[in-house]
Amino acid sequence: MKFKKLITSLTVAALMLGMAGVSAQAADLRVGVEGAYPPFSWKESDGTLKGFDIEIAEAVCAQLKRKCVLVEQDWDGMIPALLARKFDTIIASMSITEERKKRVDFSDKYYNTPAKFVAKKGSGLKITKAGLKGKRIGLQRGTTHQCFMEKMFPDTELVLYGTQDEVFQDLAIGRIDAQFSDSIAADDGFLKTDAGKDFEFTGGDQHDEACHGPGAGMAVRKADTKLRDELNAAIKALRDNGTYQKINAKYFEFDIFGG
Amino acid sequence: MDLILEYQDQLLAGTWVTIKLALLSLLIAVLFGLVGAWAKLSKNIVAQKIAAAYTAIVRGVPDLVLILLVFFGGQELANSIGTLTGLWEYAEISQFAAGVGTIGIVFGGYMTETFRGAILSIPKGQIEAGVACGMSRMIIFRRVIWPQMVVYALPGFSNNWLVQIKSTALVSVIGLQDVVYNGFVAGRSTRQLFTFMFAVLMIYLVLTAISDSGLRWLDKKYSKGIVRSDDG
Repeated sequence: MKFKKLITSLTVAALMLGMAGVSAQAADLRVGVEGAYPPFSWKESDGTLKGFDIEIAEAVCAQLKRKCVLVEQDWDGMIPALLARKFDTIIASMSITEERKKRVDFSDKYYNTPAKFVAKKGSGLKITKAGLKGKRIGLQRGTTHQCFMEKMFPDTELVLYGTQDEVFQDLAIGRIDAQFSDSIAADDGFLKTDAGKDFEFTGGDQHDEACHGPGAGMAVRKADTKLRDELNAAIKALRDNGTYQKINAKYFEFDIFGG
Repeated sequence: MDLILEYQDQLLAGTWVTIKLALLSLLIAVLFGLVGAWAKLSKNIVAQKIAAAYTAIVRGVPDLVLILLVFFGGQELANSIGTLTGLWEYAEISQFAAGVGTIGIVFGGYMTETFRGAILSIPKGQIEAGVACGMSRMIIFRRVIWPQMVVYALPGFSNNWLVQIKSTALVSVIGLQDVVYNGFVAGRSTRQLFTFMFAVLMIYLVLTAISDSGLRWLDKKYSKGIVRSDDG
């Protein structure tokens, strides 16, 4: 009896502290999103969330026939909030890494923006071991891209920079023959700007699993294997029925799903 | 500038959240401060010990750690209790309640010390005189302690309050959409982070300037009839 009394008072205390006892509704899928990472997610001035991640989240909910509740969450608290059951999955361009896998489970990747080389239009640069031998390639240090270049093109001279912006600047004034980075970063941050109008992607997508990892996935709590499997099925279905490609085309000029 | 005007609704909504958060947590802080000061000065050993532990903990742990602990840890605890007892499946701690509660309780610790110091500054003889006149404890508090305590506590109180307004920025970490959070999101969304951080800075300066003049008015009101020496 005493135990019951204790529980009752705990409940009352909990309610007084501003918690509302809400029974989990199977119909709603609560999705943690960020809203501060354009073009994947951003906030319009009227407060609405927009972007690739947001549309993918809504498409996934539609596929699962569940109502989507988008929960905005600051990036630093993303995984703790998932673990505290504030939402059921994270769809926020979260890269699948070994470190994060210790705490949460991931769906299959839903995109993997490839890394690409950017060089002057008509440079005729050949992206092969021989073609890049002795060339100066600029990139941001400490990134997955440095790992890739050192592994795949050991004879190339790497010029390392602290930030991606410096890489673009030196490419524009001709100090380096080409640069190597994430393709979206290069497209949005350079090619679409005035400084980058004489430059282009060259040599196609570059990818190495060990360096780059599998891409961005949707995170779920480790116990939620059922939801993870449903998300995997939904991602596959969106790819198969063309919804993914339609969303993709709104934001990017190439398929960011990756190989 | 155009961008700030475009996002002004977001910034204003955030500012309003910041103001509500600051005022409500101030209320809690003052209540905790008064009760804490009473407990520290009381003859009751248990009350003294509890108050000592309270100020030691909240003044010794970073606010951010406490906020994260209440918001995430509290929710996990609430959920575990619910699952264990089968009474509820999922409980939600609202971000606003977690923010107001934590900041209020933390600054209650500082207020406790401020009020305690202020009460101790009142000459004991005055209270004894009150007793000798046959005043009840309530009347002594109202007529002798309170008016003087406010004067002595105001400088420390003002200091606590200004720090507290700024501490509300911590709640952006738990996703509460205060002015810092909204400014940050707008800045990242438009790729003009510094523009928006500057706007947020100005908003805080306005808020602290307004409270500064409010506090000065209070100081004037309660200092009536008190002559201050230059070194005081």
